[in-house]
Amino acid sequence: MELCKAGLKVLMLEAGSHVDPARDFHHTFLYEMEYRGQGKPGLLRRYAGTERNYRIMLDNEENPYTTSPDTVYRWGRSRCLGGRTLHWARATDRMADYELKAASRDGYGMDWAVSYADMKPYYDRVESFIGVSAAQEGLPQFPDGVFLPPMPLNCAETIFTAACKALGWRSTHRRLAQLTRPHNGRPPCHYCGNCVNGCDIGAMFNPIAVTLPPALETGNLEIRTDSVVARVRMNTEGRAQGVTYIERHTMKAVDIDATHVILAASTLENTRLLLLSDKRGLANSSGTLGQYLMDQVSGGGVRGILPKLKGGPSRLDDGKAGGITIPPFQNLDEKTQRKDFIRGYAMNATGGQTEYPAFAANLPGYGSDWKTEVKSRYVAQARVWIAGGEMLARKENFVELDPEVKDRWGIPVLKIHFTHCDNDRKIIADFQEKAEELFRKAGGELIPSVDRDRAAGAPSKPGSPAARGRDKDRSEGRNRAPALGSSIHEVGTARMSVSPKDGVLNAFCQTHDIPNLYVFGGNAFPSTGDKHPTLTMMALTARGCDHLLELAKGKRV
Amino acid sequence: MAKFLTAARLTASAKATASLAEARSAKADPLTPCSPRTDTDRMLLSRRDLLDLAVRAAAVPGAVAFFSTWLHAASQQQHASASHAPPEPPLLRDYTPTFFGPDDFEALQAFTEILIPTDETPGAREAHCAHYIDFVLQANTAYAPELQQQWRDAMAALREAGFHSADTEGRAALVEAMSRPEHDASVTHPAYVAYRLIKQHNTFAFYTSRAGMIDTLDYKGNSYNASFPACDHPEHHVV
Repeated sequence: MELCKAGLKVLMLEAGSHVDPARDFHHTFLYEMEYRGQGKPGLLRRYAGTERNYRIMLDNEENPYTTSPDTVYRWGRSRCLGGRTLHWARATDRMADYELKAASRDGYGMDWAVSYADMKPYYDRVESFIGVSAAQEGLPQFPDGVFLPPMPLNCAETIFTAACKALGWRSTHRRLAQLTRPHNGRPPCHYCGNCVNGCDIGAMFNPIAVTLPPALETGNLEIRTDSVVARVRMNTEGRAQGVTYIERHTMKAVDIDATHVILAASTLENTRLLLLSDKRGLANSSGTLGQYLMDQVSGGGVRGILPKLKGGPSRLDDGKAGGITIPPFQNLDEKTQRKDFIRGYAMNATGGQTEYPAFAANLPGYGSDWKTEVKSRYVAQARVWIAGGEMLARKENFVELDPEVKDRWGIPVLKIHFTHCDNDRKIIADFQEKAEELFRKAGGELIPSVDRDRAAGAPSKPGSPAARGRDKDRSEGRNRAPALGSSIHEVGTARMSVSPKDGVLNAFCQTHDIPNLYVFGGNAFPSTGDKHPTLTMMALTARGCDHLLELAKGKRV
Repeated sequence: MAKFLTAARLTASAKATASLAEARSAKADPLTPCSPRTDTDRMLLSRRDLLDLAVRAAAVPGAVAFFSTWLHAASQQQHASASHAPPEPPLLRDYTPTFFGPDDFEALQAFTEILIPTDETPGAREAHCAHYIDFVLQANTAYAPELQQQWRDAMAALREAGFHSADTEGRAALVEAMSRPEHDASVTHPAYVAYRLIKQHNTFAFYTSRAGMIDTLDYKGNSYNASFPACDHPEHHVV
């Protein structure tokens, strides 16, 4: 959008199909679908997501990837216009110097090539445009921004807020890219809670509702969907000449020339393209391309009920799909530094009515008394989960091209090497301790579980068929030894660095080696931080676009 | 999601956007609806058509402001005319069981109605839970033969326990006996696994039906609301 508004002619190549909100996004009740959200047998083995949203996910059979034997990692992907922002959790947090300069504080890893002061104008610009509902808190580790009014707290969130106060912890409304009032010509949220299936009115941020319409309005943007980019082509002067893409349906290869090339295909797809474009990896003079793969740690958590809410009337508790956030309060400085681990995590909590009572099948009993108890607990459900936990950057976590496996278009796929370290495990263990402390303070009761190993084929909730592999333990109640999982927040593999020797990108997400090649996404992250990464990706993109525009004007070589 | 952007000095952008709009217009909807259209769907059609037009118009320079304004108006209109929770489509009403034989199906139906009885709110009978379980199982022939075998074993265990031949009181007593291990891990019953299997699937079938989700639990979401209801209980502000 920024480039189009500045007058550059832009061609956007999208590997997936066009998405039409009018056709693809609408409220559908589970009972309106034959398989109640589970999809026809076999369907959701091929696609991620649920019966409602698999069309905005990705076909795993067409797009395989491989992993090393010790890797436990599920790469959540989407291939369509708008991509993962069509069904993202909308959490919109700024990263602070507490994260960007963490290496200077505790000596581990590498500082970012940007500071919060560098990022602040771009955070401001992005938030102002997309609309973020949140409250100002004045916490340096959780920087405030340009906010719309926050969404009200439901009863469970109010109780958890009181519990946080009693523990001396700060908490706030989850910061969400969801509108609480009309903003830039878009309507406010109507609190259907259907966000992850695609917003039918564009009240949450996604490109098809927010950034693409004004870009198209300039007349400077052409979008070609169903165009699978295969590589970046270089000229003899060491500059990017353009790209080659393959028409998704006809398999025809097409060359496009351009003055500048931007990879914005999601973190690991960007890195895959760089690996595909040169035997040693394009823009890889540092030798770090593909390395330092990270994904914020998740796992553990607490589910149960808040007795205060039992037996109450049904309320629209899940209509905003929100919650409260407890920002990190450890390892901020010397005073709060833990001896047993570095870095930190943020917690979320919410509760109340949900679409499906996932606890019910594990509640002992049957008959009318059981039905009454299910309804009584249904409105009193509560849970605490990790919002984002920092995973340490390690060289041994990396991606490479698989030497044998190719996708449907004959393009080599990624092989992922991904394991956790002791610090990652300690972060989750500490989160689990604090989550249980919060739950106890709120007066919560764990839900008794009579059958943690579900019968085959019996889904715990709509869209979670038992046949599908899981990368973490989501069973009810306390997880005594939390399994570590990922957060679909993969970052790194082409990190930014001050010196070209240490990374692939500079502070503007321009490759150190090729001046007309930019990489937008999570690639630049030298560390994960504990905030959701999307806003930072957008701010880095806006910053990179400014840089490119200056370059295009000939102000910089 | 290989979005790939080239800032090429193209000269034919107007032609490109026009061809994009044409492509959208010409593209037939390849998607099959998940479920038969309901009356509510038909009511929503005009809105969807208008939305479609608005999205297409957005590809035309100058039309974005109209698009945004219209979307806002459309949403306000929808708020005013929203009818929460459409009726259940007749997916199971006339469904004929194919996985279970007649006597097993009768036994399963009776079992599900003991687990989730009809009282002041609907039960497994109104939700057609046994029908839904049969529907899912028959659809899994090529995908989950192990699941089908579990169910055959479960029905054999019920038959072995005498459920099929028991009268109403006998069946109630049998379910009570089978359920005891849920409360006391030291107690066992040869049909406990069957009880758990039926309970798990029956629970899912019931609370994903309109009878369970709306008529029993009064689920409020998936609806259009002008505001989000804040907690208004002073007692929730202290712990």
